Amino acid sequence: MKLIKSIVRPNKVDDVKDALAKLNISGMTVTEVRGHGKQKGHTAIYRGKEYNVSLLPKMEIEIVVPDSIAEEAIKAIVQAARTGEIGDGRVFVFPVLESYRIRTGERES
Amino acid sequence: MSMTARGTGSTLRAALDAAKDELRAETARGTAGRAALDRHAGRVDDLLRQLYEEAGQPQAAAAIVALGGYGRRHLSLHSDIDLLVLFGSRIGPSEERFLRAFMHPLWDLGVVVGHQVREIDEFSDLETDNPEFLLALLDARLVAGDQALFDRQQAVFHQPATHACIVQSLEALIDERHAKFNSTLYQLEPDVKEAPGALRDLMATRTITALTDPLLLRRGPADPGRFEEAEDFLLRVRSILHLETGRNQNVLSHELQEKTADILGYPGNEPRQRVERLMSDYFRHARIVSRSLEWTRRTAPTPVGPNLGRSRDGVRFLDPVLAARNPASWVGAFQAAVDLGTGVTEEALSCIQQHVDRYRAEDFVPEARDRAALMKFLKPRSGLYTALSQMHDCGMLGRVFPEFQAISWRVVRDFYHKYTVDEHTLLTIRNLERLSTTDAPERQRFKNVATSLPAPELLVLSLLLHDVGKWRDDDHHLESVRMAEDVLNRLQLSPESCEMVQFLIRNHLRMSLVAFRRDTEDPDIVREFASLLGTEDKLKMLCLMTLADVEAVSPETLTPWKEELVWRLYVDTYNHLTQRYGDELIERSQAGLQELLSGRPADMPEAEIARFLEGLPQRYLHLFPKEAIYRHVRLARDINSDQVHLSLECADAVWTLAVVTLDKPFLFSNICGVLSSFGMNILRGHAMTNPNGLVLDVFHFTDEERFLELNPDAHRQVLHVLQDVVAGRADVRQLVRGREQSVLQPKTAPRVAPVVHADNETSGRYTIVDIVAGNALGLLYRISRVISQHGCDVDLVLISTEGERAIDVFHITKGGAKLTDAEHRGLTSDLQRTLEGTT
Repeated sequence: MKLIKSIVRPNKVDDVKDALAKLNISGMTVTEVRGHGKQKGHTAIYRGKEYNVSLLPKMEIEIVVPDSIAEEAIKAIVQAARTGEIGDGRVFVFPVLESYRIRTGERES
Repeated sequence: MSMTARGTGSTLRAALDAAKDELRAETARGTAGRAALDRHAGRVDDLLRQLYEEAGQPQAAAAIVALGGYGRRHLSLHSDIDLLVLFGSRIGPSEERFLRAFMHPLWDLGVVVGHQVREIDEFSDLETDNPEFLLALLDARLVAGDQALFDRQQAVFHQPATHACIVQSLEALIDERHAKFNSTLYQLEPDVKEAPGALRDLMATRTITALTDPLLLRRGPADPGRFEEAEDFLLRVRSILHLETGRNQNVLSHELQEKTADILGYPGNEPRQRVERLMSDYFRHARIVSRSLEWTRRTAPTPVGPNLGRSRDGVRFLDPVLAARNPASWVGAFQAAVDLGTGVTEEALSCIQQHVDRYRAEDFVPEARDRAALMKFLKPRSGLYTALSQMHDCGMLGRVFPEFQAISWRVVRDFYHKYTVDEHTLLTIRNLERLSTTDAPERQRFKNVATSLPAPELLVLSLLLHDVGKWRDDDHHLESVRMAEDVLNRLQLSPESCEMVQFLIRNHLRMSLVAFRRDTEDPDIVREFASLLGTEDKLKMLCLMTLADVEAVSPETLTPWKEELVWRLYVDTYNHLTQRYGDELIERSQAGLQELLSGRPADMPEAEIARFLEGLPQRYLHLFPKEAIYRHVRLARDINSDQVHLSLECADAVWTLAVVTLDKPFLFSNICGVLSSFGMNILRGHAMTNPNGLVLDVFHFTDEERFLELNPDAHRQVLHVLQDVVAGRADVRQLVRGREQSVLQPKTAPRVAPVVHADNETSGRYTIVDIVAGNALGLLYRISRVISQHGCDVDLVLISTEGERAIDVFHITKGGAKLTDAEHRGLTSDLQRTLEGTT
């Protein structure tokens, strides 16, 4: 199993969700986050005064998928979240050692 | 004196003597109480009426008004006769003649007259330094003369503010008077007029209740019948004192106590016994008066509006029967409650609840002032949500706005709203109220936007109506817009205000959609959003509406993350609206243009409008209603190079000056200079230039010194000076200098640190200079002068004022092009120095 954590533009969340749904991936955790990567934010000017917008609002989407479809899922996320401009986000992939269902205590394979 | 006058004089004397004899006889019988004094006052009335008839009519309307004790018909044998001689206009020779003819015979008769002479206009200013006169006026009663004039005086005088002032002064007078008697009523030789528990206290009790709660005495410690008995007793004693001493003497001394006890027929073999009985009666009555006064002072509501008083439990109707008949007055109760930081009492709410179903929506706003009062009530501030909730609970909100009734307790299941639609709506208003008053550092940016709105009540009205369409299950925002139309018609708001409210309701979901679901990094998205809005005012309103609405969905919905997204979209759109509009010129296909052309007046060819609009920014069509644009087109007619065409008008205390001319150096700074030299405070303004060199400057300003209002010729004078200055016939620098050096000018430095920022990137055609500085007289003049001194042309200007902060955006060019980096650096530092006052 793989944990796929993607940081995407807020307006791309619905597109990513739709793309994953096509792969029958519906369980996910979505979190409002702020941060910056290479983009490092920029300065905006309001009424003549500069103010720093170094931490940009992004959405974090976490899914756990079987190894067999991990690559397909990553591709789907990248395609759906991409605009081609700086600030499109990142996808991180982690191996999942074990997983338990809290309600029943069962270990999932 | 003529024979007739002498003849009349003797008749009058005979009449007066007869009246006094009658009162003396009553007094000697011990019965000169309320009824006898009332009859005596009636006799004196007759006498004054006769004198009035004989004095001859003055030119102005006149009225003889009885005041104080005489006004109350408590006229004792040697009481002063207090009179007001009232005139309907300026007192001239004819009125003076009348006064002599009226007063002299009175003095000849030896009557002690306390008279005041006033012109009706003098009542528009409250004589707060003369509380005794104000108190005497409460008992005003027309004796002779013009009833309409008297009614006018009464209407002007009986204002809630006046009543409140009188009650306050009366409280002080009571304390002062009581102190003279060591604050005890148990005096061995009491003054039956001044002592605690005596006649003045009795009248004070009546006055306080009359001005605060007419029904108060009924609930008081003493039965009203016993209160009147006390009054009659005190008056009978006083009459005896006047008779026995032959003058206006009110102390019941030891010697006079015996005489009084005899006249009043107290039983007892010894004088001491009779006196004891008299005095125990006196103290019994005085105690009733004293206790009633104390109770009244403790429990009387403070008058806070017409028929409104503030008690410990909130604001209530003084006379519920009167309130029930006048639904237009109910908003006033809620307004007062919000103003005073309290609520409306349960008693008043049940009065409203009991009667509210009898009235239709129109009954709450029958007159323009009622509509204005309702809009004023809707201004966001602490307590508005609580007041609206109270209003809703007692059924009034749904009657004033039947549209709102449709969503009462309405449940819409959508998995994210947590409250009924009506409560969600009221919560949006609470959120706006909190945003406007918050101290939280992270929300100050939105608070600044909220406090800068010129008409925040329109936002509250829009919030109140934004979801009324949810009584249906489909596209609710369109249904809400449709339903809002009825409300706007009822409230008869200006076309611009109606347009704003409808715009906000129609688009209330738009900003959250763009901020949360669109790529706001994309300039096209921002441009599209900006073109939907058109002006900063709409942007500000929609931004706050979005926050208030999202936050009212559930406590978790508006996260700091979402706030940040809204804020960024706000900033980008604001910058677009204020800085990029110079590049977006009016095009043939522009929305609104066709409507403008088809609605044009008969004398205005389409080509004339098209020529005028050519090269002006699209923003122009957003800023001005059709009628204003037609006015501008007319001003631009047949203009040639040495002419200035102007129009100056006033609406709601804000003046609008429109100037059309051909471009000239220093034009903008000259106009600003002239307005400043007349002490005008420029609030907002727009300056625009088209490529043919036609300049249109529109200024909105207030005239705090009321120069234009108070001086009939001022209007012409301002226009005249403007023309002279623009044509180079007068030097504006001198005019402004005089004003700046005036002793009336505040010398304190503005508290806002100036910010100057020049931007050469945003616009393709202009260098943009953003300036934020403390608002001060001549500020715009100084700024624009520096710009002109640098050889720059002022092409477009946006002026706005938010409290003590002035926000100005200049679009400038030099020789038709943007400034070079060196040029704009030089200009920026000069401007900074000017604003810091270091040049």
